[in-house]
Amino acid sequence: MLKLIRLEWKKNRIGKDVRNAVILALCLGFFVYSVEFFGITDEIPEANSIGISAFIELLTNMSFIVFCGAMLASYIVGAYKNKTMNLMFSYPIKRQKILLSKMLAVWIFNYAALILTKLAVYGVILIGSRRKEFVYTIDFRMETPGFYIGLAISSAVMVSICFAALFVGLMMKSSKAVIIASVLLMFVTQGSIGDLTLSNSGGLFAVLLLISFVCVVLSLCTVEKRDML
Amino acid sequence: MSYLLQTNHLTKIIGGKELVSDVNIHLRKGEIYGFLGPNGAGKTSVMKMLTNLWKPTEGAIELFGETLQKDSYEVLKRMGSIIEFPVFYERMSGRENLQLHCEYMGYYEKGCVEKALELLSLSDAANKPVKKYSLGMKQRLGIARAVLSRPELLILDEPANGLDPSGMKQIRELFKMLCKEYGITLMISTHILSEIESIADTVGVISRGKLLEEISMKEIRERNLAYIELSVENTRKTAYILTEQLGFGNFKIMDERNIRIYEEGAVTGKITNALAMHGVEVNAIGKKTETLEDYFLKMTEEGEAYA
Repeated sequence: MLKLIRLEWKKNRIGKDVRNAVILALCLGFFVYSVEFFGITDEIPEANSIGISAFIELLTNMSFIVFCGAMLASYIVGAYKNKTMNLMFSYPIKRQKILLSKMLAVWIFNYAALILTKLAVYGVILIGSRRKEFVYTIDFRMETPGFYIGLAISSAVMVSICFAALFVGLMMKSSKAVIIASVLLMFVTQGSIGDLTLSNSGGLFAVLLLISFVCVVLSLCTVEKRDML
Repeated sequence: MSYLLQTNHLTKIIGGKELVSDVNIHLRKGEIYGFLGPNGAGKTSVMKMLTNLWKPTEGAIELFGETLQKDSYEVLKRMGSIIEFPVFYERMSGRENLQLHCEYMGYYEKGCVEKALELLSLSDAANKPVKKYSLGMKQRLGIARAVLSRPELLILDEPANGLDPSGMKQIRELFKMLCKEYGITLMISTHILSEIESIADTVGVISRGKLLEEISMKEIRERNLAYIELSVENTRKTAYILTEQLGFGNFKIMDERNIRIYEEGAVTGKITNALAMHGVEVNAIGKKTETLEDYFLKMTEEGEAYA
C-alpha cells in the first residue's frame, strides 16, 4: 500500500501540491498576523474577548476543505475522466486497493499539510504576541500536549469529512461537483449566520464523519462492479 | 483443443442494449488473431471484458486455462493491452511512463525500458513529456508499454491508429517478431484489413455484437476468396439464367453491370455459353481472388462505411 501511495504522489506531481500548500500556509499566516498587527478588528468592540485560536481554526479549516476537495477531484475523479483509471485497473492490483491508495495519498498529504499550516500560523502568532499586544486574546498554549492532541484530532476530522464530497463527485462523474460539494461542506462546518454557527457542534462533525465513512465504504464497494467507460 | 483465450457465450448488456451477444472466441497459443468489425460492432466491448475493465453480463472468459473471476488479478500480469487509445500521464516523459508501468506490474528486468523504447524507435524522444508526442508516437509508446513486461498475450485495439505507412510496416514487423521469436499470442482489432491480412493466422468477424465467423486465413484463401467476375448488359436476366439454368445459388449482384459468382466449381466457359444461348451480352468475364477486405465486407454487409 505504501508503494502505491508513493506512486500516486509521483504520478500526480506531489511537488506542485507541496508548493501550493506552502503558498496557502504563507498566505494564511500573513493574513492572520496582519489582522492582528494592523488592527483590522479594532472596530469590533468584543474583539478583545474573542480567542485567536477560533479565528485560526476557521481560516485553516476552510482553506484545507477546499484544498482537499481539489486534490480529490484531481487524483480520483480526474483519473476517471482522463481514463488513467482504466490504465490503473488493467494492472494486476485489486481495484479497491488502487482506489484506497489514491484516497490515502490525498488524506495523508492534507492531514500533514493542515497540521503543519496550523502549527506555523499558531507559531507566528505566538512569536508576534511577545513583541506586540494583539487585538484577539491568545487562548492557546503550545507547550501543553493537549494542544497537539486537539490539533491532531480536529485536523483528522476536517480532512476526513471532505471524502463525502468525493462520493458526490464520483456519483456525478464531475470534478467540479467535488469542489462545489467541498465549498458547501466548508460553509456548513465553518460558516455562521448572525450568532448561529455549527463550527462548535460536535454532533454535526460526528454526523459528517459518519457520512464520509459511509461514502468511502460505498465508493470502495462499488468500484469492483463498475464498468470503466 | 485447449486455447490460450476462450470466451463462452460472452454477452454484455448496458442500459438494456445488447452490445455483445453470445460471442465465442477461440485463441490458440502463439497465433495472431485478427478481430475485424465495423465501427460500433462490439470489438472494443469484447476487449474491455477480456482485460477486466468491463464485467460480462453473461457468459465466461477462460484465460490461460482458468475461468476469469471477479477477483482474477494475477492473469493481468501475463497480459499487455491497449484499449481504445493508449493513455499516459501526459506531464511525465515516455521513459517515466514506462518505468511507472514496471512498478505497477512488479516487473524489474534491468534495461527492459530502454529495450522497449529502442524496439519502437522512441529512444530519442524518451525524455520528452508525453504531451509533446504526436499521435503516432503515443501509439508506439503504448505498444512499447504493452510489450514491456514480455506478456504471454497481447490485446491491442486498433494499434495502427495514427501511424504513417512506414510506422505501420514497422509495427507489423514487430508483431510478427513478437509472435515468432517470443511466442507471444496477439489479438488485434482493426479496420485496416490489409494490415491484418498479411499477419493474421485466424480472423474473427464481428458485426452488431455478434461473432459472425471465426476462420483461419488459410481456410479463407482456400474456401471463399476465388470468384468469377462477370460484366453483362442485363444483370436481372443473367441472375435468372444463373439460378434457373445453371443452378447457382452463391452469387452477388454488385451493381447494374457486375455480378460476382462464388459458386464452387463454376466454370467461365459454361457460364458464357449459357448466357450466349439466352442472348445475354457478356462484356467481360474472368476469375478473380477476393481480398480479405472484400470477404469482410461481404460478411458484414457494411461496404458503404469502408468505401
